[in-house]
Amino acid sequence: MRDFRAAATIPLRQRLWNPEARLAYLLLAPAVILLLGFMIYPVVYVFLISLFRTNKLAQLKEFAGLKNFVYQFTDKEFWQITARSLYWTAIAVAVKAVLGMIVALLLNVKYAGRKVARMLFIVPWASAVPISSILWRWVYHPEYGLLNATLKATGLWANPPTWLGMPLPAFTACIWVDIWIGIPFMALVFLAGMQAISEDLYESASLDGVNGLQKFFYITLPGIRHLVLIATLLSCLWTFNDFNTIYILTRGGPAGATDILITKLYKNAFEFLKFSPAAVMAVVTFFILTGLAIAYARIYFRQEQGQ
Amino acid sequence: MKWRNRGKPLAVILTVVLLVVLLFPFFVMISSMLKSAEEVYTNPAYWIPKSWQFSNLIRLWTEFQFATYFKSSVIISVGSMLLNTLLTVPAAYAVARLRFVGRGMILYLFLVIQMFSPVIVVISLFKVVASLRLLDTYLSLILANAVFTIAFTTWMMNGYFRSIPKEIEEAALIDGCSRVQTITRIMLPIAVPGLVTTMIYSFIAAWNEFLFGLTFIQSKQKMPLVLGLYNFVGRWTTQWELLNAAAFVALIPVLVLFYIIEKRLVAGLAGGAVKA
Amino acid sequence: MRKRILWILVLVLLLAGGLVWAQKAKVTFFWALYDGLTEEYRASLQDAFMAANPSIDVDIVPIQWDLMQEKMTTSVAGGQPPELCVIGTRWLLDLMSTDSVLEVDKVVSKKTLDNIAAGAMEAKIQGKLMGLPIAAGARIMTVNNDITRVVPKTMEELRAEAKRVSKPPQTYGLIMPGKKHTELTDFCYYLYAAGGDYFAKNADGSWGKAVFNNPAGVKALQFMVDMATKDKITQEGYLGLTRMDSHPIFYEGRAAYVMIGAWVESAMKQANSKFKAQYVQIPPFAGQKPASLIITDSIAIFKKARYTKEAGQFLDFFYQDQWKAKFDELVGFPPVTVSAAKLPQFQSPLYQALGQAAMTAKGWPLIEEWAEVSDIIWDANVKAFLGQMSPKAALDEAAAKVNRARGM
Repeated sequence: MRDFRAAATIPLRQRLWNPEARLAYLLLAPAVILLLGFMIYPVVYVFLISLFRTNKLAQLKEFAGLKNFVYQFTDKEFWQITARSLYWTAIAVAVKAVLGMIVALLLNVKYAGRKVARMLFIVPWASAVPISSILWRWVYHPEYGLLNATLKATGLWANPPTWLGMPLPAFTACIWVDIWIGIPFMALVFLAGMQAISEDLYESASLDGVNGLQKFFYITLPGIRHLVLIATLLSCLWTFNDFNTIYILTRGGPAGATDILITKLYKNAFEFLKFSPAAVMAVVTFFILTGLAIAYARIYFRQEQGQ
Repeated sequence: MKWRNRGKPLAVILTVVLLVVLLFPFFVMISSMLKSAEEVYTNPAYWIPKSWQFSNLIRLWTEFQFATYFKSSVIISVGSMLLNTLLTVPAAYAVARLRFVGRGMILYLFLVIQMFSPVIVVISLFKVVASLRLLDTYLSLILANAVFTIAFTTWMMNGYFRSIPKEIEEAALIDGCSRVQTITRIMLPIAVPGLVTTMIYSFIAAWNEFLFGLTFIQSKQKMPLVLGLYNFVGRWTTQWELLNAAAFVALIPVLVLFYIIEKRLVAGLAGGAVKA
Repeated sequence: MRKRILWILVLVLLLAGGLVWAQKAKVTFFWALYDGLTEEYRASLQDAFMAANPSIDVDIVPIQWDLMQEKMTTSVAGGQPPELCVIGTRWLLDLMSTDSVLEVDKVVSKKTLDNIAAGAMEAKIQGKLMGLPIAAGARIMTVNNDITRVVPKTMEELRAEAKRVSKPPQTYGLIMPGKKHTELTDFCYYLYAAGGDYFAKNADGSWGKAVFNNPAGVKALQFMVDMATKDKITQEGYLGLTRMDSHPIFYEGRAAYVMIGAWVESAMKQANSKFKAQYVQIPPFAGQKPASLIITDSIAIFKKARYTKEAGQFLDFFYQDQWKAKFDELVGFPPVTVSAAKLPQFQSPLYQALGQAAMTAKGWPLIEEWAEVSDIIWDANVKAFLGQMSPKAALDEAAAKVNRARGM
């Protein structure tokens, strides 16, 4: 960043067009061109759709101004879904962070076989989300699923709920799958941070008679504070966008109890062929996520500079 | 470190318990894929298959053309990995090492892009692909997957390049190397571990992708594995034993690759604070 | 440096100019994965046609039913539809509103069309056949004779007998899916059996405002709710079971009754069912006339596709008895062609029951917003099952939503 300030005294033209900048433009060109065509343009088009009336083929018909937005914003269901998207994300990310922390702490204990344990903990992250989701659907199956069968047979839970059929259990079941997918990432990031903390700190603390819990709160947690923030924000982005899990498990049911913005958006577009409402939801999603992304970028940059 | 030593057995027990919980669906997968069609639909469900149908795994290849799906997945994933690398390396170098106006903006742009969900863009992206006459080609998926991972891989590669001391490069420049030479002869060899990570990452992302494949591919010959798996979901029944077997087959290659990169991937995601 | 620029240029050119030149006519057919339809059949149909018509390639692409509409929509919206696609006939109105489908008689021979049974012509809209029927099936009821031999004459009798034989969790009286899936079938059986309907019919034959919340509709939903929650004669966990998830319980032999379609026999064979099944009619409520649901699927031909003429040739080939009757047999649907209907394999008890059901059966209302409407009604059903709302309140709310969605 310091380079920029020094460069500020140089005339603009020269700053824009010098050998180094030219090379930079050239190197960036292929990536930027493809991004423009395959990413920016489609997104701009979605913004356009949100301002137009469309037919069933997503062709723009007539300019509607903000009417599409007004229609959604005056619909109670829209706000319910938006609220659910937010607390879906908040709960899922919080639980991921806590469980991720526990897994990280466990993996930080040195015992034979912890490498194997680490490898096994990663599997949910590696598996493709659509595949994991359909596996879970099979696990939750009320008649033939092994989850309820096992709970009953072992006596752990004599009367387990119909997981995907009732509002609260369905929400819990869906959010659990999302959490389950996200735990390994959290755990590994935290673990990497813990391993970077100097052992000396712990040893001198031990000499001072500090107990384990205190060590966690006074040494470990402050040591990985930044990482916790970054991992949490990244995870928020992914969780908010988690379409596959909910759509494959419940399609937003029962009676809309698991619908979040991204699933409702998909249903509007591809089941009901109502592209304008879908685009409005996409735009709302866009603004919420941009906020998160900027927060992430700030922390990332600050940390980089701190190095 | 005393409390850790004392807590060791407890930690091991907790680890095992957690693993059982977290790997539960995979245990179910292995149990179900070895059952017969009748056994899968038996209530109450049980763990140990009675007939041990290892043939389910073979039927995927003999009856359901899994080799074709597999081939498609490999072509798409390798293609998008290569394209992604070709785009990422120059872009990341420019962002990491060159001074130019708009550098910060580019980084922010890449970051914002990283969060777009395919669900949001797929309809208009389909129009782009169709107007380029790329529907039902591997190239459409290679392009889409490469582009959707670019933002992320550029960020990671940027981090790796920046971690290389500037002095090394400057020395080379003074010795009369051109910029391109410094990239190919000095920077890349040092950044190989990082490069491998981003490459495998883009490979896995393409391998696991579902929505683009669903919308762009129109012929059975070109369907990737994740889509092929959904062919076991019929209109009126699902062939769970085969679906589970297919999931198993699709998981293995990704798992192997994942282990290779997992540590560096974490470092790339979390930024400078973690050493790869 | 120069080299690098060249490299990049070549690459970009290659990517941008990745034109695919088809060498011969290629007909793409989005093929719905009906149960019972084997991969072997798909491949042999494809090969046989290409052997008979060396100048035409045909690619029959199997697609899971739940993904079909999305797949079709994106390809039509993107301006590159396949030549042929299996669709639910009710999707036709959406496609017609955007002028996307070709009239069938433009490319399919008269000989083939004359062979289609009149009762299968749901896709005839304002006198024009907009989709070639591929499967038409009225819904029936199947009885597990190992559990009961009672053939109920009314819904009330069905409920009583189901209650008598129900011994959960080992044996259930009746299978009833309670989790939303893509088709609104079960509510429809009871609604039609109660003499109800979805919409009021306008003078010009189009559908007006929602009437599924009238007393017949409420009675139907109340009946379903009572069976599930009061009598508990439906399968346990019905709220978490879609049609696809719940029917295997019947195939397994653990339920007395199921309301189901033509695929029942092939599905039971696939599941290796061992009980004796009896095919009967879905009973009406006391005092009502029998009225089952009939659902047809069609093959749409897309205007914008390049090889519609060749697609017509393919359909002519496919609709010969040799292939189409085999298709019907595998899928288990009653034939839509007159000639195949006479074949001996379609004279079994199942086909007799299906034929009888078809005589009084009604289709879903053909309206543009059907997908959304059925989604809303499904949600109302679930709300009533969950006890969040009374059937009346749930249906009233749904009717208001439906009217709003349809701009009424």
